[in-house]
Amino acid sequence: MEVACVLIPELALADPVEAGELTERLLCRLERIGAAVESERAGEAFFVLDGLRGIHGGESAGVLAAARRAAEMEVRIGVGTTRLSAHAAAQREAIVPSSAAGDFLAALPVSTLAGRLELSPREAGSLIETMRRLGIERLGALAALPADRVADRFGPAGLRALRLARGEDSLLRPRRPHEELAEEVELPEGAAGGQLEHALKLLVARLLAAPQRKGRTVLGLRLGAVLCGGGSWSVDQGLGRPAASARTLLAVLAPRLETLPGPVAALRLRALGLGPPVGDQLELSVRGEEHRRRRLGEAIREVRAAQGTDSLLRVLPLDSASRFPERWAILTPSPDR
Amino acid sequence: MSPGLRRLYVPRPVGVEVDSDGRPTSIDGVAVEAVREEWLAEDRWWTPHPLGRHYFELVLADGRNVVVFRGIVSRRWYRQRG
Repeated sequence: MEVACVLIPELALADPVEAGELTERLLCRLERIGAAVESERAGEAFFVLDGLRGIHGGESAGVLAAARRAAEMEVRIGVGTTRLSAHAAAQREAIVPSSAAGDFLAALPVSTLAGRLELSPREAGSLIETMRRLGIERLGALAALPADRVADRFGPAGLRALRLARGEDSLLRPRRPHEELAEEVELPEGAAGGQLEHALKLLVARLLAAPQRKGRTVLGLRLGAVLCGGGSWSVDQGLGRPAASARTLLAVLAPRLETLPGPVAALRLRALGLGPPVGDQLELSVRGEEHRRRRLGEAIREVRAAQGTDSLLRVLPLDSASRFPERWAILTPSPDR
Repeated sequence: MSPGLRRLYVPRPVGVEVDSDGRPTSIDGVAVEAVREEWLAEDRWWTPHPLGRHYFELVLADGRNVVVFRGIVSRRWYRQRG
């Protein structure tokens, strides 16, 4: 099995929210060339090359060239037989063939394990430092140790390190490809308080109205903000169950606004996953109001189908207490329900 | 404003004749029967672009009830629904 690793240079990942956005764009673009990508941290993506060669000229080089073109950003790409070796190869822009995988891994410093041990940075750093003190500088030296001695000295984390050093790895767990569904609204003069809630309502309305949602439910959301004082902020919010109702999304997101560290220049909302369409969901009961909403949703879809997606707009209250009527409300694209 | 969004109740320019006190006497050529109410609205007075309006709620000779305002800075007249 050949694993490709695509890395975004660290310089571009300084801001955590931007890093998340950039990574999401990279993953979506790689998925467009057919890659089943796994990414557990910002700035990196893994995918198995084997099945993609047939689509991109029969050679690994063709797949990598396609990935580089698709990325549309500066990236480092490498190939190895495991995540660890592929990641190290990407930092060197190298392709490590299976025949050389053992030697390549053996020569890597034990510090390469730092991000792969499923430990906190402090715990991982402590483990690696202990290994160094004991004279284990390279993965080759670690791989040569008997498993029982490693287990005695370093415990489960040591055994995990040993497996990685010996070139053992679990299968990739690629995410389900999905279309990017994200909205952003810029806010004048550093918004806070009630203005933010209105902006959030607007974002939710736009996200639900986005044509690429195609009536599907949302499984999770990432709410992010660009702060006026510089920097950014984001929080991931699970929904418990698939939802496509503005009220539900607002109910879980609104309390998150209170944790914002300062005035906001822009607010962003991204769907982290899309579930089955609303109509396919099981439900225990349908209340009268829900029934009415569903019929309204059907009517909206019919009008849209006949008159175009922009034919229906929704009045979104903004600041009903304002003395200037043009601030009371705006028209936004109407969600399906 | 982001694409796909549209404001409601946007002020529209209107032709207004006024008396010596600056109160409207006709709107687009239709005489004003009565001034029901008038008020001042101000905002952003602390910025370089303050917002100030002198509003009038009027009853016209043709029976319509309309709201107009004069921009305190621009001195122009607008009609506004809402």
